[in-house]
Amino acid sequence: MAIAKAERLMNLALCLLGARRPLAKRELRASLEAYLEAGSDDAFNRMFERDKDDLRELGLVIDTVENLDGEVGYLARRDSNRLPPVSLDAEEAAALGLAAKVWQQARLAGAASGALQKLRAAGMPEDVDPYETHGALEPRIPVHEAAFEPLMLACRDRRPVVFDYRKATAARPETRHVEPWALECWRGHWYLAGWDRDRQAERVFRLSRITGRVRSRAGRFQAPVPDVVTVRETVAGWAGERADRSALIRLRAGAGYPLRAKAVSVRDLGDGWDEVEIPYGHGLDAWLVEFGPDVVVLEPAELRADVVDRLRAVAKG
Amino acid sequence: MAVNAIDQTRRMLSLVTYLRERPGARVSDVARAFGITEDELISDLDVLPLCGTSFRGGDLLDIDTDGDRIWWHNPAALSAEAAEPLRIAADEATALLVAARAVATLPGLRESDRLALLRATAKLEAAAGEVASASARLSVTFESEGGVFADVDRAISERRRLWIRYYSPARDEVTEREIDPIRLVSVGHTYVEAWCRRSEARRTFRLDRVAEIRVLDEASRPPQIEPRDLSEGLVQPAAEDPEVVVEVGPGGRWVAEYYPHDSAEELPDGGLRVTLRTPDPSSLRRLALRLGGDGHIVAPADLADSARQAARQALAGYDEAA
Repeated sequence: MAIAKAERLMNLALCLLGARRPLAKRELRASLEAYLEAGSDDAFNRMFERDKDDLRELGLVIDTVENLDGEVGYLARRDSNRLPPVSLDAEEAAALGLAAKVWQQARLAGAASGALQKLRAAGMPEDVDPYETHGALEPRIPVHEAAFEPLMLACRDRRPVVFDYRKATAARPETRHVEPWALECWRGHWYLAGWDRDRQAERVFRLSRITGRVRSRAGRFQAPVPDVVTVRETVAGWAGERADRSALIRLRAGAGYPLRAKAVSVRDLGDGWDEVEIPYGHGLDAWLVEFGPDVVVLEPAELRADVVDRLRAVAKG
Repeated sequence: MAVNAIDQTRRMLSLVTYLRERPGARVSDVARAFGITEDELISDLDVLPLCGTSFRGGDLLDIDTDGDRIWWHNPAALSAEAAEPLRIAADEATALLVAARAVATLPGLRESDRLALLRATAKLEAAAGEVASASARLSVTFESEGGVFADVDRAISERRRLWIRYYSPARDEVTEREIDPIRLVSVGHTYVEAWCRRSEARRTFRLDRVAEIRVLDEASRPPQIEPRDLSEGLVQPAAEDPEVVVEVGPGGRWVAEYYPHDSAEELPDGGLRVTLRTPDPSSLRRLALRLGGDGHIVAPADLADSARQAARQALAGYDEAA
């Protein structure tokens, strides 16, 4: 039976951490059972390269050094791999315990638990059980979008990406070339902010509108990434939360609580209707139509016309 | 076996550091400290004796367990230096920092919890060093109504009943109810899961739809019920719920993003045919109205009728013939 990968990685890690001098590839090959069984040079080389990458992924700093004979050796230096002293009190430990359970994405959930385990091994207190103190609070970060992981890695490694993207109202997806800057989750949905190479402008993309695979391009992009990315402002603009005017509507008494919650003023008309002034931003027409016969738009005329158009379309439908 | 080798290796490296300091540690304690099941821990303990620091034949870690305690017979096989706790990797720092910052921004969170999170975040940033900066590439915001959150949190910890006025968008009405809160769940928005005394059933209430809230003096007594697994989402239609079919044009594709559905079939015009289930199809009349010319209800027919009817009534308010 092939030797389990975790066993092989663990042996390689312990070898590199335990060695006091750089170990040559041939020495490692002769030391690890799994490498002896690897067969051909090619098979071994591929396996060894992948293993080094995996160990780096989990945080091991592996240096490559050349000895006097020009042979390459590998070394996990003590000082670059040691966790600096960190002292967390019981409350802080419980807080991190809660945070470590928040991710619902396999890779980040694994990484968060890994961080917690390293802190635990370094003596983080464990007498406070976060399940006890925080059992009634469950924050979760949902990640349903397949595009998330490749984009996260591309942001981290500053790699340009290509993907097909369908705008909210577009019939067909379009190929976009993007330098990815940051990912943001707002109201349970993930967005990517970045530089759109074709449009030569900053753009925000909603991950659920990416169709097909995200391909990352070779090389790193050099243009600076802005410190502050305005994902939320952009998305709020899409959602029509930027209101610069107000509208006047008649609203049936007792109906439309969310409209009342946003109202600037409410006046009882005495005939079973109220006159309500509400902020008027993009998207208000569609929202008002939801209330059917309980809303009549008074002004502005343009909003009234939009609502009537929508109602006609439904009445005909 | 669905075990991620990287996660397991990472865990075993921390485990050897941890066990070296604690001869005879209990399986149950170690599993809890590492946030894993006892079975997962045992499977790690099966691998560790096959691992060693050096060349073939010698220095394998002689670790075993009787199922209760864990013994390491040759701790010297691993030098004190090789067993030191390892630095935090970039992805690890990102995962924990982004989550901790997100929780700290939850409006209504207890101040002591928020301060503990911020202190822990600062210490973690310092310990992680420059790799911590990668965490700036991800951010998460939870939405919550701070005042409502604080009242629900207090009611849960003091085991007291709540009175709320709650807005139900499906019926466009505000109703009063008494609820026994069970837990607060944040998934983008924040919800309270509770036993609703009015419907005698478990219900989930979104905090931004709570119009008014009061913590009552009465004790909260939710019946003992299995906690729901919410990892698949808060809205989990039942198999027996009636089916609704909606056809939308390109401008109505957002329906598939906002409504959990069984299927979304591409249509030739760039639109979608979305099939979803809901216990109460009449609650989707709002959706039919909102779609306007961007889509329509295909089935059930009475739902499509009621939307048309509502639109005609609304047009009457404008003195328009439908």
